[in-house]
Amino acid sequence: MDGAAGNVILRLEKVSKSFGGLMAVNYASFSVKKGELRALIGPNGAGKTTLLNLISGVHTATSGRILFLGEDITRLSPDRISHKGISRTFQVTSLFPGLTVQENIWAAVQSRKRFLNPFVRAERWRDVGEKTESMLELTGLSDKAGVVCSELSYGDQRILEVGVALSTGPELLLLDEPTAGLSTQESMALVKRMRSMIGGQTILLVEHDMGVVMELSDRITVLHYGEILAEGTPAEIMGNEEVRKVYLGC
Amino acid sequence: MFLDKGKGAAFAFLYGAVLAALAALPFFADLFYQTFVTEVLVWVLFAVSFDLIFGYTGLLSFGQALFFGVGAYAVAISVLKLGLGTGAGLLLSVAAPVVFAAFVGYFSVKLSGIHFVIITIIFALIASTVAETWTGITGGTDGLVFMAPPLNLGFLKVDLMDIRSTYYLVLGVVSLSCLLLRRMVRSPLGKAFVAIRENEDRARLIGYDVPRLKLVSFVVAGGLAGLAGGLYALSLKYASATFLHWSISGHAVVYTIVGGAGTLLGPMLGAGLIMSLEHHLVNLLQATDLVVGSVLVFMLLMAPRGLVGLLQGRRK
Amino acid sequence: MVSNLAVAILNGVVWGLIMALIALGLNLIFGLLHIINMAHGALYMLGAVVAWYVIELTGNFWLALAVAPLVVGAIGLVLERGLLRTIEDKPLVTIICTFGIMLVLQQLVLTYFGGTARRIALPITARFPLFDLQYPVMRIAIAAISLGLMAGLWFFLNRTRYGLWMRGVVQDREMAVALGVPVDKVYMWTFVLGSFLAAFSGVLAAPIVSVDFMMGREILIMAFIIVIVGGMGNLEGSVITAVVISLIHGVGSVFVVPSTATIFSLGFMILVLLLRPQGLFGG
Repeated sequence: MDGAAGNVILRLEKVSKSFGGLMAVNYASFSVKKGELRALIGPNGAGKTTLLNLISGVHTATSGRILFLGEDITRLSPDRISHKGISRTFQVTSLFPGLTVQENIWAAVQSRKRFLNPFVRAERWRDVGEKTESMLELTGLSDKAGVVCSELSYGDQRILEVGVALSTGPELLLLDEPTAGLSTQESMALVKRMRSMIGGQTILLVEHDMGVVMELSDRITVLHYGEILAEGTPAEIMGNEEVRKVYLGC
Repeated sequence: MFLDKGKGAAFAFLYGAVLAALAALPFFADLFYQTFVTEVLVWVLFAVSFDLIFGYTGLLSFGQALFFGVGAYAVAISVLKLGLGTGAGLLLSVAAPVVFAAFVGYFSVKLSGIHFVIITIIFALIASTVAETWTGITGGTDGLVFMAPPLNLGFLKVDLMDIRSTYYLVLGVVSLSCLLLRRMVRSPLGKAFVAIRENEDRARLIGYDVPRLKLVSFVVAGGLAGLAGGLYALSLKYASATFLHWSISGHAVVYTIVGGAGTLLGPMLGAGLIMSLEHHLVNLLQATDLVVGSVLVFMLLMAPRGLVGLLQGRRK
Repeated sequence: MVSNLAVAILNGVVWGLIMALIALGLNLIFGLLHIINMAHGALYMLGAVVAWYVIELTGNFWLALAVAPLVVGAIGLVLERGLLRTIEDKPLVTIICTFGIMLVLQQLVLTYFGGTARRIALPITARFPLFDLQYPVMRIAIAAISLGLMAGLWFFLNRTRYGLWMRGVVQDREMAVALGVPVDKVYMWTFVLGSFLAAFSGVLAAPIVSVDFMMGREILIMAFIIVIVGGMGNLEGSVITAVVISLIHGVGSVFVVPSTATIFSLGFMILVLLLRPQGLFGG
């Protein structure tokens, strides 16, 4: 997962987002290279989740541009952005609660199809079935395929959510505090599983757990009051005076 | 449960058995009972169409009566005022509501939750107000009475003045529609609907064009509700502005909830049971809705997954 | 013409104030409990029906006005405690459940009160000259009473401890719990208050529209529309919207057929829902 040869796949240019006068994100500019694992850290309310919302299309930027693979995605709807190759997970798990693990993954794999055929039984789509099977194995949840999602343990749900996000075959994966609500042990298990699930995608990771951040990231971007405070390698960021002042290793 | 998840063979057997029983009915039951079952079948179709948008796609609409009423009037007006045949009338009873549903749905799917419920009611209210006042076309609440000419299917002529023939026509159309609907809810499109019901935002984020899919669901449901209305008008030889009132939608809601939403079998059971209950009670009690309302509240609180949910529970 | 218009305007305002009371009750229940109360129209109807019984027994309208809302408030208490408590967090379920309750209430009234509409004798029969027509003083009294109740409601919500609790729970439930506000009780009393308001307007409306078991059905929809258009949770918005819509409809009916006026008001609602779903006054 080290930063591969330098193509920039995501670029934010002076992106701002205001909510009725409150500037959640303020002229943020940064870029992420293909294959990189970029961590986004900052105190609560710094605008990290808002940034993810802007990139994934949940919110629209008030000003500025977001470019993905050279294309301007600033005003696209979330489903269009998903088809461009961006996927995300949420701080508060967002899955299909009444559906089984297998059905959750299937829904994500199936979403790539242009025409949702109402005249055939879904099982006839063997390619979707096979991809679902392999994604299930990747998540390690194959033996729980028939379990209804709301009955899974919290940790398994977090893993499933990453699995669902990966099932759409994204180029860029946005992870919003994947270890939220997990004990240290569970966090380590999640990280381990994530390492094996992720294969070459570019990742933008919002995280509070500095241990995870230090271990996984290639570069770190620090956010404070909606503005980019600093950016650099983990070593550079740890050594940065301003960062230490503002953000005492939350 | 059976109707949408059952394995192929088991389902075919069960469905075939029920169909055979219903087909044999006219040999055992009197004309009055045949008329009653015809009516039940119509409401089954209406309830099943509601289950598509509510049970499967998660959209609560109290405005489905609009499409039911339009379907009924499509048949009545085709035959009475346009001089078209019954077949054309039936086709229009699907086509006209589809157009209305596309229009209403286009605007309605931009909203969610309570706003969606309200806007569908408002559209239905506008339609029923129009229907009540344009008495020249609709006959208002007195409605239109018409004679339905025989339905010419090429190899078969269905005499709609004959109760038994009408029964078989309705049975045929409703059972075929239910089969199509079963195929749809088990198809990739059906899976997308269910994803929307479970978590609309997540569905959007994994790439589903949620508003468009909601519209598709809404239009299909509207078309089927219209077909139910058309069959209803044919069986009664009558259409009235009261068919468009939002309380008619309430029937579909009750049957589906009591039977079990999201199962196709649920609305069938619900319609059959509640209508039978009303049929038997009407001699004892003028206010049959009293029992219906109580059953609804009871089921919601005690058995939210409906009768089908209870049946499924026992199986484990 | 002028007299017709004047009558239409006054009628519009009077009816608008009655609708405002109904809408306020609905808005309180929705704003706080997030319950979409489809039985609200039935509670309005019950108010009128109970009032009719009180008047039958005592001949006193004012007594009915005092008693009926209390009785219906008590019914509301039973409904909230007994039925709605467990499903309050599921909006779609409560819509359907209250729909069922509406059916039951309507049919109970049908069974015991009967299906024919009954009139209530006006306690005040005086009229005053309005241009070249005579306008019933009763309606002015109704308007005055409605305004009085609204003033009382405002006072309760803004100046009393319980009222502030009610508003506090809407703003921030967790904070309210932390501060020791008995949230469960507040929920219950809010539903009771909403029922009370619905019934009160039913009693006020009874002399105008007569009492019948179906009277709540159309009222319900109008009340919802007023709440949504005015802004859910925005009480002042409901009052203004109620009076404005009623005026538009009333005055409009002088110039066009009433059903056309209805259709136009409904069309206006759809526009508001689509263009400004948080309501005209919603934040």
